Amino acid sequence: MTAMMLDEGDASDSELIGRAKDGDRGAFGRLVERHYDFVHRVAWRWCGRKADAEDIAQDVCVRLGRAIRDYRGGGAFTTWLYAMTLNAARDHARRSARESAKTAAYGVHALISGEAPEEADDQAEALWAAVRKLPDKQRDAVLLVYGEGLSHAAAAEAMAISETTVSWHIHEAKKRLKALMRAAGDE
Amino acid sequence: MTMVDDNELAKLRGLGAPAPDPQARIAALHAAMAAYDEPREKKSTAGQGSAEPERLTSRAAKLWREIMHRKLVATPAIAGLVALPIAGYTAFHLLNERPFGFDGDRTVAETSAAKPVAGGPAGKTETEESRGLDETFVAPAAPKYDATMKRQPQDDVEYGTLRSAQPSVAKSSPSAMDAAPAGGRTRDVANSKLYLPSTEMAVAPAPAEAMPEQAENRDRVEDFKSNPVHSAKDDPVSTFSIDVDTASYSFVRRSLKEGVLPQADTVRVEEMVNYFPYDWKAPDKADTPFNSTVTVMPAPWNAAHKLMHVAIKGYDVQPATQPRANLVFLIDVSGSMDAPDKLPLLKSAFRLLVGKLRADDTISIVTYAGDAGTVLEPTRAAEKDKILAAIDNLRPGGGTAGEAGIREAYRLAGKSFVKDGVNRVMLATDGDFNVGQTDDDDLKRLIEQERQSGVFLSVFGFGRGNLNDRMMQAIAQNGNGTAAYIDTLQEAEKVLVEEASSTLFPIARDVKIQVEFNPQKVSEYRLIGYETRALNREDFNNDRVDAGDIGSGHSVTAIYEITPKGASQQIDDLRYGDASTANGGVANADEYAFVKIRYKLPDGDVSKLITTPVTTANEVSSFDAAGTDQRFSVAVAAFGQKLRDEDATAHFGFDRIEEIAAAARGTDPFGYRSEFLSLVRLASALGSNR
Repeated sequence: MTAMMLDEGDASDSELIGRAKDGDRGAFGRLVERHYDFVHRVAWRWCGRKADAEDIAQDVCVRLGRAIRDYRGGGAFTTWLYAMTLNAARDHARRSARESAKTAAYGVHALISGEAPEEADDQAEALWAAVRKLPDKQRDAVLLVYGEGLSHAAAAEAMAISETTVSWHIHEAKKRLKALMRAAGDE
Repeated sequence: MTMVDDNELAKLRGLGAPAPDPQARIAALHAAMAAYDEPREKKSTAGQGSAEPERLTSRAAKLWREIMHRKLVATPAIAGLVALPIAGYTAFHLLNERPFGFDGDRTVAETSAAKPVAGGPAGKTETEESRGLDETFVAPAAPKYDATMKRQPQDDVEYGTLRSAQPSVAKSSPSAMDAAPAGGRTRDVANSKLYLPSTEMAVAPAPAEAMPEQAENRDRVEDFKSNPVHSAKDDPVSTFSIDVDTASYSFVRRSLKEGVLPQADTVRVEEMVNYFPYDWKAPDKADTPFNSTVTVMPAPWNAAHKLMHVAIKGYDVQPATQPRANLVFLIDVSGSMDAPDKLPLLKSAFRLLVGKLRADDTISIVTYAGDAGTVLEPTRAAEKDKILAAIDNLRPGGGTAGEAGIREAYRLAGKSFVKDGVNRVMLATDGDFNVGQTDDDDLKRLIEQERQSGVFLSVFGFGRGNLNDRMMQAIAQNGNGTAAYIDTLQEAEKVLVEEASSTLFPIARDVKIQVEFNPQKVSEYRLIGYETRALNREDFNNDRVDAGDIGSGHSVTAIYEITPKGASQQIDDLRYGDASTANGGVANADEYAFVKIRYKLPDGDVSKLITTPVTTANEVSSFDAAGTDQRFSVAVAAFGQKLRDEDATAHFGFDRIEEIAAAARGTDPFGYRSEFLSLVRLASALGSNR
């Protein structure tokens, strides 16, 4: 799943989790290391900004460090990671919303000094840009189902809502995306 | 690029994230270790006020050091280019005297730094580099990473103010973890509450994005906000379009059966109420296409209020006068239909329908997938074996090419057109409807154009995922069709067979309801449901404004909660009153309200009007004195409101709803009402805190 799962002889996630819960910090380190790229990818897809993705990923790592001893298992570890990453991304967005006035002001400043924001250079990026404008839950649902290829059931688990509600969010997201993409085309 | 369907969305998978910055990666891993090493008892308070305000100079130095460390070391070649803007940003930040977000600076650096890192060879070195660093990382020397660690407390402080909305980071994570893997029920309840503030607080990460989204959002917000209480004095007229859709009930049912309370947004009260067949009094003759029955009764959830229950029943076209039917099944056989609750269910559903048709009716079948194809040319229903064989031979496979399919379906419908008969294309799909190069509007135009030539279209949604898609919406609101969602064979029987006559025979189009309340008798009113169907007051008499259609035997129910004059009001009266209503000279002062229904006959372009005054003659003294079906529909309305967590029913328990519904179950020949009772019990068990 991630680039770091190269060592075939390595212990499984559940083994590492078990050992991390017992205080084996080496095991915990390997677990985080193994999943960092995964978390980073999800975060990047959610927010679309490299710097934010790194902050979110770091935040997830911290949360993992605090929460791993309470992890009960039962579902896939990645499901839990999805849930954590989406929550962290949302928290991050909330924080940066308050910072954004300043950032926007600096954006103007940066433009004058010759720095231009990166252009979405293909359709998938344009679509991702539209997805990022969706309300949080719709964005989560589309990210998990279409970006990550999860089934509606798996997305429901990660979002801790019912499968039907995932379907509903996807349905609403499609309507919204259509309008967003059309607006983007008119620009 | 205006299409947004599954094929389009599948592209989302293609775009990989850029490789994480190796330095950021290492920093994150160390942060994780530090969090792991935190003493456990400190967890709940960690970060809360642990960061003391730093002096400006040390902040500047640290910021600068970190920027250099993080960005410039990683990509030395472009260091010179990036340094100047970063210096600018550092100054800019400091001048603003705010805690450092570290967001903007990296965005700036990224524009030049990202590309070399994202490239192939760079990605490779990065992996090697980070693997090399892993050795050090396993046993970190804490003080060395001071700069990185400091960021954490800062961030935490920043969202200290948000704690009221979301308890605490440290706390919320473990709880998320408890429930998520277990697919927990309790979690969802807690969670849906949790999410509420978040959507409002974080509309979008940056203002540039927030602006267009706000504009987009407006429709939707209106869609899902419950109707407010209106003062009958200020705003005596309520106007809405009829709605015979029932999709929301199926959503709610599915959700509850999965063990989760449905999200408030997915609950449309009128669609739930209208799901059930009611035995309202029907008109005797076809020339008045429907009859309305108005009942005023005490509101079960508020003793001081009354309900004004408006029940409309369409004329039931008798089989003897049923015109011949010319049906074209347009069936989606794309790969996505290959699921037990899709194509196989669809086949069984259409087999049921074929069994109900008469010998002279004709059926054609068109499939669409990779190519649209005619499976069955128009065939008389008498040749049942041939039709059933064609249905049985349907196989899923290929992509979806809906446009060709729908054109072919219309061609066949035209070929066997029955003048004065029922000519209808019945589209069965899981929601994927790729109309080729044309967009939604072209599709709408096509459907409208065909409607005018007398061929109607109904849509039946199957399976989960894309159901009730924009396509179904477009048709439900645009054409003379019904959109229904079919999740079980029982539902198929209800929709296709039991309601076949109403689905197939529209008896009135553009049906609008306008109610004028008499401020002398009613001080406030509230329409329960129909939020998405609201019309402007002036739309009522404008025949160009589209509204919902009613089919043979259809029933439609609308319920108002009214505050009788004299009862305590939510809205204060205006001090200076309203001369036109307070002058004592109002005609018909004893009436509660005046209900007007406007409709067009199926082939007419000019609307007709039916009016009904609502007086004390419509009133029953107690709730129990109201009719069985009235009481049942009120129970459904209460349930819908309860699921939407509305104020009106906040103190009205699920047990009371169950009581009313159980007492009003009636004969319930198809078990719909028993099923409703089980849903109420499920919701009650799941949502004791609502």
